[in-house]
Amino acid sequence: MIKIAWMYPDTLYLHGERGNALALKHISEVLGGEAVLDKVDFETKDFDPMDYDILFFAPGEVSSFEVIGEDMGRYMDRLKEFIESGRAVIATGTTLGLFGGEVSRTDGSKTHGIGFIPATAVEREYVYGDDEQINADYHGRKMEVVGNQIQMINVSFEETAEFRRFGSVVYGMGNNGRDGIEGVVYKNSVFTNMLGPVLVNNPWLTAEIIRAAAEASGKNVKAEDPDFELEKKSLECKKVFIAEKKPGSMGL
Amino acid sequence: MKFRSALVYGKLINLAINVIDKSRGSNKAGDMAMAKCPDMMKHFKGIDPSKVLFITGTNGKSSTNNLINHILKKQGYKVVSNLEGANLLTGICTALIKASDLSGNIDADFFVFETDERYLHKIRENLPCDNLLVTNIQKDQVQRNGDPDYIYRKISKVAEEFDMRLFLNADEPRADSLGRKASRAVRFGTARHSRSFTKDDSYVTMPCPVCRHKIEFSYYNNDNVGGFRCVHCGFSNEDGADYVTENSDFENRTFAVRGVPFKMPYDQPYMLYNYSAAVAAVKEIAGIEPEVAAKAFADFSNISGRYETIRYKGKNIKYMRFKQENPETLQNFINVIASDPDEKVIVVGYGTVNDIIPSYINSFYGFDCDFSKMIRSNVKKFLCVTDTVCYDAANSFMYGGVDPSMIEILPTSDVSEILEAIAKQDTDNVYLTMELAKFEKMQAVAGKED
Repeated sequence: MIKIAWMYPDTLYLHGERGNALALKHISEVLGGEAVLDKVDFETKDFDPMDYDILFFAPGEVSSFEVIGEDMGRYMDRLKEFIESGRAVIATGTTLGLFGGEVSRTDGSKTHGIGFIPATAVEREYVYGDDEQINADYHGRKMEVVGNQIQMINVSFEETAEFRRFGSVVYGMGNNGRDGIEGVVYKNSVFTNMLGPVLVNNPWLTAEIIRAAAEASGKNVKAEDPDFELEKKSLECKKVFIAEKKPGSMGL
Repeated sequence: MKFRSALVYGKLINLAINVIDKSRGSNKAGDMAMAKCPDMMKHFKGIDPSKVLFITGTNGKSSTNNLINHILKKQGYKVVSNLEGANLLTGICTALIKASDLSGNIDADFFVFETDERYLHKIRENLPCDNLLVTNIQKDQVQRNGDPDYIYRKISKVAEEFDMRLFLNADEPRADSLGRKASRAVRFGTARHSRSFTKDDSYVTMPCPVCRHKIEFSYYNNDNVGGFRCVHCGFSNEDGADYVTENSDFENRTFAVRGVPFKMPYDQPYMLYNYSAAVAAVKEIAGIEPEVAAKAFADFSNISGRYETIRYKGKNIKYMRFKQENPETLQNFINVIASDPDEKVIVVGYGTVNDIIPSYINSFYGFDCDFSKMIRSNVKKFLCVTDTVCYDAANSFMYGGVDPSMIEILPTSDVSEILEAIAKQDTDNVYLTMELAKFEKMQAVAGKED
């Protein structure tokens, strides 16, 4: 059984990411037969990350970072153990910044993430929303991933041997619109700007995350993907749409 | 002198637009006149700030503005407004240019303006106003607005910086919480009614605007609008509101405010908030009693384009507009369909979002919405159309619980092909949603053919 914790769902609540939580459960069932999806938040008593295979953190508002970061303190050691064990944290959208360090806000104030990722962020004065297309290399598998960005923060991140990029940007802004880097991967955990139903629409990525997490927990899941015909057709449509956008239309 | 010449210039532009193309007239004069005199709005004379109302928020601005205008005008008041919907600084400036004489004097009783939430501060800086009505602050237009907190901070700044009386939706937590930042707040709401709904625990709610913990809803009147309480700090709307629509009877189309019976001009549940907001505003700003306001409701006609019906080869196609980046309007669409027990086909035209450059694909919000009642409401087929987003739409319906065998995918945006596909359906009762521009093309084709 694959166990998924959906973290702070009513505070990290943006962009219809309930779809991603459902996709993690659905594709786990397709690959492994049984899955459990539990909501975890401030009121959840005795939460232990090690009871789960996957922790899903959806995007939230930067204003929520402080209160969530504070609450994460109660299980921080076990969270680090979870990540080091190769189980998977998936953080989407702005929540990438929650796992990083300092965040400079537009009003001149500073807030802080939990400092797990060697990254800092600057809140954007203006929102940037667009499609994003990347070539990802995750768990030894190369794949195309197409999703969206609703960029509220620019992320600065230097790759190291341990902290690597999640993907290389084909189209879109990535972490900051400058270095062609999208997101961060550490072991099997993914911290990405991509959001919306990225795990619904790119089930090959979702399946690989589930395999990686299951492997770390010593659980068996199918090694082969199902057909994913609908999603593949969707991917091709989106690639055509993105390719037809005028160069320079990103308006960064 | 600079103001006077900009004003004359603006009036000439209005004159020219009236001759050439009236549909382009809502922003242009203000835009061009303000290029000559950027602070010209500060120079108009005869504007009493206590008689000025700004209406802002995510959903319901235009309808509320339209209704308040209607009630005031029925009482014989002269109202300056931007009913065309141009809600930026330049649109409001255009309305003032039209209303003023050549010296900048405006002879009017009230000034009621729909205002874009992002530009509210700029507008307030330029036009003194004592009254601000906030309909709600929801997920919307994420490509520009990002998240609701982005807009909340902008409106908060105005509430904190300027001493205004706030009219607040007491059933929407963010709007309601703005009352903590104002010295004067009037709250409006809607009592639980027969079309209120609940959602199961798999759906998300929202963070408390006070402490960021979970807001729990005991019921919803609209998505994320209803009876609420924070599980942590206790922030809630349990103490009620000043103006509440009660005893809503959708079959007989009536409701009451403060015991006064009203006709319900439109029976979509979300309109009830526009009704209570309007009754509150006209009473507090113009002294119009609910009994008097009620008479104006009898012949209120809202702006067009939200709901239309077309006939095509025997099919009755009911169009409802929803904003693709706005789950509340999508849930409203779903709820309206769910309330129709007759056999039906649903045509969903999620498209690319083309509001600003760059265009992009957004199919996020199907996942925030509860399809279950719609699925149980005698739907024979879901037809997903448009060339780029049809597969994602179909996928979101499957995740919403729709049997895949009931979904047909038609990967085209050609309205003739879509109409032909509709004509082949077994049932005559068809619900359609897609972007307005595409629907208007379909309307034109259907009009020629049928």
